[in-house]
Amino acid sequence: MTGLKPKKEAGKWRFSVLGLYIQGVKTALASRMAYRGDFIMSMFIMMIVEFSGPVITMIIYGNGASFPGWDMNEVLLLQGIFLLSRGISFPFFMGIVWNTIGRVQEGTFDLLLIKPRSILLMSIVTAFDSEDLGKLIGGILVLRMALKRLPEQPLSHWISFFILFLFSIILMFGFALFMAGLGIVWIGNYRIYEIFMSVMDFGMYPKSIFSKSFQSILTYIIPVSLLASYPASALLGSVDKDVILALLASIVFLLLGLCFYFKIVRNYTSAGG
Amino acid sequence: MIHVSDLKKTFTSYERGSSFGEALLSLFIRKKKIIEAVKGISFDIEEGELVGFLGPNGAGKSTTIKILTGILHPTSGTVDIMGFTPWKERKKYVQNIGAVFGQKSQLLWDIPPLDAFYLNQAIYRIPDSEFKKAVNDMVEMLDLKDLVKKPTRQLSLGERMKCEFIMAMLHKPRIVFLDEPTIGLDVIAKGKIRDFILEQNKRGTTFILTTHDLEDVEQLAKRVIVINHGEIVFDNSMDKLKQHLGEKRTVHITAKEKINLENRDGIVVRKQLSDYDIEVVIDLSVVKLNEFIQKINEESEIRDIAIEGPELEQIIMKLYSV
Repeated sequence: MTGLKPKKEAGKWRFSVLGLYIQGVKTALASRMAYRGDFIMSMFIMMIVEFSGPVITMIIYGNGASFPGWDMNEVLLLQGIFLLSRGISFPFFMGIVWNTIGRVQEGTFDLLLIKPRSILLMSIVTAFDSEDLGKLIGGILVLRMALKRLPEQPLSHWISFFILFLFSIILMFGFALFMAGLGIVWIGNYRIYEIFMSVMDFGMYPKSIFSKSFQSILTYIIPVSLLASYPASALLGSVDKDVILALLASIVFLLLGLCFYFKIVRNYTSAGG
Repeated sequence: MIHVSDLKKTFTSYERGSSFGEALLSLFIRKKKIIEAVKGISFDIEEGELVGFLGPNGAGKSTTIKILTGILHPTSGTVDIMGFTPWKERKKYVQNIGAVFGQKSQLLWDIPPLDAFYLNQAIYRIPDSEFKKAVNDMVEMLDLKDLVKKPTRQLSLGERMKCEFIMAMLHKPRIVFLDEPTIGLDVIAKGKIRDFILEQNKRGTTFILTTHDLEDVEQLAKRVIVINHGEIVFDNSMDKLKQHLGEKRTVHITAKEKINLENRDGIVVRKQLSDYDIEVVIDLSVVKLNEFIQKINEESEIRDIAIEGPELEQIIMKLYSV
């Protein structure tokens, strides 16, 4: 037997959650690479599209305008972090949104429910989106460019950054859970994704450019400022004390997302026979 | 093995209307409609049975199967399958079941079925040795050879369906749910799939077959459960099902002399092809078959005769129209 055979590993780690996920990624990559030209082109386009935000920033600063309290390289750093957060979440787990919407619409969500694994894990395993790796490459390139132009940061700043970046990913996962759950309730509603993208776009700019009341919403209710603004501030050593509340809000957001998702799955009615 | 008691499932649906005005109105005001898909059904299935689960579209059979596979939660009632309540212990339970959906593929379109099998190996935690043996055995039984290494999109419908069976049975499930497993297949592919099901059943796998193909039912099922309007209208053996319309036989006779069988008790003329060629349905509770043949032979001298049992289609139609 040949094909995507798992390597002969000692132990049974490949039947673990991570092992299953890696097998899912390999399967998705093999599926996508069946059309090589389209695969490479899509990844390239995804990467180019991601550059639009930083390019706008450069145009703004090039014309003498600025975001208050942030110089151009700092904003590019923030946007690089934002793209990196998207670059990790979109290919690796955000695909559950359209995977769920599509499967519920065609009735193949049932096929995931007859597998002896968590439905959330099955939704993630079957949703790896290789095209979005372009986002990851784009994020790394913008971040690298910004870091080169900024002074070196001490280790403590980097540690704070990594912790906050982890919360950025947690927040994205919370978003994914809400969107996927809504995809089960509102069958075939792809607008959910567009609403999510619009809300998320607020995270691409420094928190300080918004009004005080809107900053509160972006910190305590839907803590979008954790996506990039806070991790960037942490790396630059200028994070404010409200970050603790934003972290708590992101944990609450994730827990609510999990409750919502599993409650909706429990009430799933499936498509007609 | 399977115990189902007073199982009920109701859905809430919303009436939308057909006209543009009604559709527009439904954006703001929606009329709730409660649909009783399953109305308190009960049945038991023993280990090793091969049961046909039939019913017209919308009868509630898919809903029942989805509850039995742990996909749906029922409104009320109890289900005990191998000691599990499917919707409460879904993950442990589904490790022991398999499912083949004729209209929903578990294969992946652009890669070979073998790669999809590897994904299932990881999902079901099947050790390498068991996995290889299961794949090789089933590939041989289904006569697939190297086809499992070709991209799924290049396979015929019959070959794909065979691969669906491998996909569903790699982990050696004790119960397999089949939903229209031979839909759209040619006679040869149907035959191969049916042989495979019978062979697996002989080895102890319990099958629950949902289909509209009555030939599948006739050739595979030993017991039939018919559901209509969310209720069980028949649950018995295939033989009993055939007796459901009464003990009737269809007799086709070609004779040397003219045949006249009008206005005779227990005999209904179905087709009069010519004066010498006739098809009748005989009610054996009124007329004895040997006496009937003897009488016709005396009257018209039989040249050829064919006797058939009741047609399953007629019986099912009668049950569906209840």
